[in-house]
Amino acid sequence: MAHNTRITIIGGGVGGYPAAIRAARLGAEVTLIEKDALGGTCLNWGCIPTKALLQSAVVVRTMQESETFGVKCKGFEVDFGAVMARKNSVVARLTRGVGALLKARRVKVIQGTASFVDAKTVQIRETGEKVQGDAVLIASGSVPGRIPIEGIDGPDVMDSNQVLAMQTLPKSVVVIGGGVIGVEFAQFLVAMGTEVTILEMLPGLVPGVDKEIAALLQKQITAAGVRVVTGAAVKGIAHRKTENAVTYTVGDRTETVTAEKVFLTVGRKPDFSLLGIDKVGIRHERGAIVVNEFMETNIPGIYAAGDVVGGIMLAHLATAEGECAARNILGHREAMNYKAVPSCIYTTPEVASVGLTEEKAKERGEIQVGRFPLRGNGKALILNEAEGLVKVIADRKYGEVLGVHIIGPHATDMIAEAVLGMTMEMTAEELAGAIHPHPTVSEAIMEAAMTIAGGAIHIP
Amino acid sequence: MPVDILMPKLGLTMTEGLIVEWRKKEGDPVRKGEILFVLETEKVTYEVEAPEDGTLGRILVKEQQTVPVGAAVATLFRPGESAVEASASPAPVPKAEAATPAPAAAARAAAAPGTAPSAGRVKATPLAKKAARELGIDLAAVAGSGPGGRILREDVEKAKAAGILAPAAAASAPAPAPAPAQAPAAAADEKLVAFTGMRRTIAKRMLQSKVEAAQAYMGNTVDATELRACREALLPFIEKKYGVRLTITDLMMKIAGAALREHPVINTRWTDRGVLYLPEVHMGMAMALDEGLIVPVIKSINAKSLGQIAVERTALIKKGKANSFLPDDIKGSTFTLSAMGMFGIEQFTAILNQPENAILGVAAILDRPVAVKGQVVIRPMMNITLTYDHRTIDGAEAGKFMQTLKAFIEDPILVLG
Repeated sequence: MAHNTRITIIGGGVGGYPAAIRAARLGAEVTLIEKDALGGTCLNWGCIPTKALLQSAVVVRTMQESETFGVKCKGFEVDFGAVMARKNSVVARLTRGVGALLKARRVKVIQGTASFVDAKTVQIRETGEKVQGDAVLIASGSVPGRIPIEGIDGPDVMDSNQVLAMQTLPKSVVVIGGGVIGVEFAQFLVAMGTEVTILEMLPGLVPGVDKEIAALLQKQITAAGVRVVTGAAVKGIAHRKTENAVTYTVGDRTETVTAEKVFLTVGRKPDFSLLGIDKVGIRHERGAIVVNEFMETNIPGIYAAGDVVGGIMLAHLATAEGECAARNILGHREAMNYKAVPSCIYTTPEVASVGLTEEKAKERGEIQVGRFPLRGNGKALILNEAEGLVKVIADRKYGEVLGVHIIGPHATDMIAEAVLGMTMEMTAEELAGAIHPHPTVSEAIMEAAMTIAGGAIHIP
Repeated sequence: MPVDILMPKLGLTMTEGLIVEWRKKEGDPVRKGEILFVLETEKVTYEVEAPEDGTLGRILVKEQQTVPVGAAVATLFRPGESAVEASASPAPVPKAEAATPAPAAAARAAAAPGTAPSAGRVKATPLAKKAARELGIDLAAVAGSGPGGRILREDVEKAKAAGILAPAAAASAPAPAPAPAQAPAAAADEKLVAFTGMRRTIAKRMLQSKVEAAQAYMGNTVDATELRACREALLPFIEKKYGVRLTITDLMMKIAGAALREHPVINTRWTDRGVLYLPEVHMGMAMALDEGLIVPVIKSINAKSLGQIAVERTALIKKGKANSFLPDDIKGSTFTLSAMGMFGIEQFTAILNQPENAILGVAAILDRPVAVKGQVVIRPMMNITLTYDHRTIDGAEAGKFMQTLKAFIEDPILVLG
């Protein structure tokens, strides 16, 4: 079973290509079909390019606050073309790398659009070539979501793909949607010198994030110069010659904000539109392919992973799901575990979390919350980023860590500790008892855990 | 080259082994797979097989001697090799590379980490350890389902649930020496499923029951015409009043309860000090869950109407399916009834659910030709088989109980008497 199983993988993004490599390592013959660029959304239009841009924003911030560190800069200038070019070179290097990795594992890569002929066979639309296998993994990803409002198809309304392809920096932008994608774009643009307004329908930015953390982020995003309007229901976009008027209501007031460009960042939706999955009867509900805990669809031998199955749409989860599917195709029997899936926001300060928010944890039962403000952390002061917070949520009975939430420098790197710990069912005691390197921001995680397990050192 | 027979390493913590018995003598011909000697560690006794055909040469370690793991304990000559020539050569000393044909068992034990309950460090998450401490669970007996075979809190709680079923097993003397993890790595189409805590408990309890009790069996075929008629007559009434459907099992539990009242010796418990007669009949109802067998209990069944019994049975099945039994639901039965009618089983014997002294197996009702007043007629017939502990219950007592049962089943109105 584990040898010479032929697997067809549809989609060369982070759901598909790691699965292809994993399956090949396990001895399968793998064919990977990608209609656009290897690396998919993450490498080409998502995680990587946006973070590359945000790094330019970090540099701007460093310049701006250089005097705090005793370094006087004689002015600086943003070259937007160069910023975009650097982003493109990072992306190009990574996608080339994916191609090389696939080649090294003898994965056959077909450039084209796949559609099902039957449960074991897909056809490439462009060439008519048929690919047959023992199993199929659908990892066709997602596309930016849209909302049905007037003027949404206007010439200055851009989704995230279009924003990343911009040639010139707009003077002003309205960002519709204050989720992760929205705040990251806003942060980048405001650093570049654009005037930015975020319109978010819900009462706070980054819904789903622990409320206390989200409030701190909103405060800092605002301090960075972004105008944030929450509870704003967008009604329509009117395109004028040089600007766009976005009309929205807050409560019973109707207001308008104008800007050169409008960015639509209202989430993403699973995309299997070109696959013809109904032809083979693959079940889908609410726009996403339905899979069981082993990532298998209702059709035996057809698996799906990543954004196309809906739920949490994050690159690292897609990769985990894809690898899980690959192993299950090749005879393992391994259920996907969603208990410790981290999520990150690459703003300044960064936000990272894993597990339950304080609000969700309270709904489930008795909890304890350990908090440690970064004001008490040496390294955060050194970095001039002491406006952060670490929260550890643990259950009351055994102190099981149910969630860790960080806002502050290096949050996105530091969350890995909590992910590992939660995977191993750690309790606050282990987190507090492990020796953390000094001076680092990670000590704040330990101290937050200490406030539950015996008391912190650096809190009066 | 003669082959060195080594002291195998049966577990991660095994450092030395005691040779209890040599099954072969010097010069004996041996075939691959035959038992050469029996060794004992702190935890297990184990029979070591010959790794290949040949003749047993010098025995280097005598019975009752302890040697470290990896030490040569004997030599084995391959066919064609001269025993005389080699036995003249100096006794082989344990060599570093002596691991050559390490007895397969050692390799196997290492190949199945995490599933071996005995030897070595127990991998459990911090949360599982805390839960185990509080619940009084021995982690060594729990199978891990987490990363790398780690025991998770869920595994501990499952073990606890299974343990509640078996307080006797938990308190019992050391369990029969577990065979060292010799489960071979599963081949392509084989599948190795690690034991769950519940499976371990069932295994322990079933074997313990078979070993401890003097189980005897007695069967009878009964005419279920009236039993069926009784169910059909009561079904609409009970369905209307209680909203549940009366089953043959409900009637059989009621009837068994009534029969037990007539024969108190069946409703007893074996204790070390004497036979404990129990005033109440708490009817155990064997039930199959996906994970294994469990016996929920209908308390004081003789005080309950058929409708109440049907309601309780329905509720217990629902709880069982939802995995939400409370300790009290599965505790304290004095007699158990196991029904296999739904599988069309014609006859079967059950294993005693200790500490009970008897269990009744109720088979399917099947149409059979029987002789009635000299005529062959077709009647719905049912086999019932009693398993009883002969230490407490003699055949005559069991026979009388079965006689009453037969009378009650064939004429259920007698239960009212």
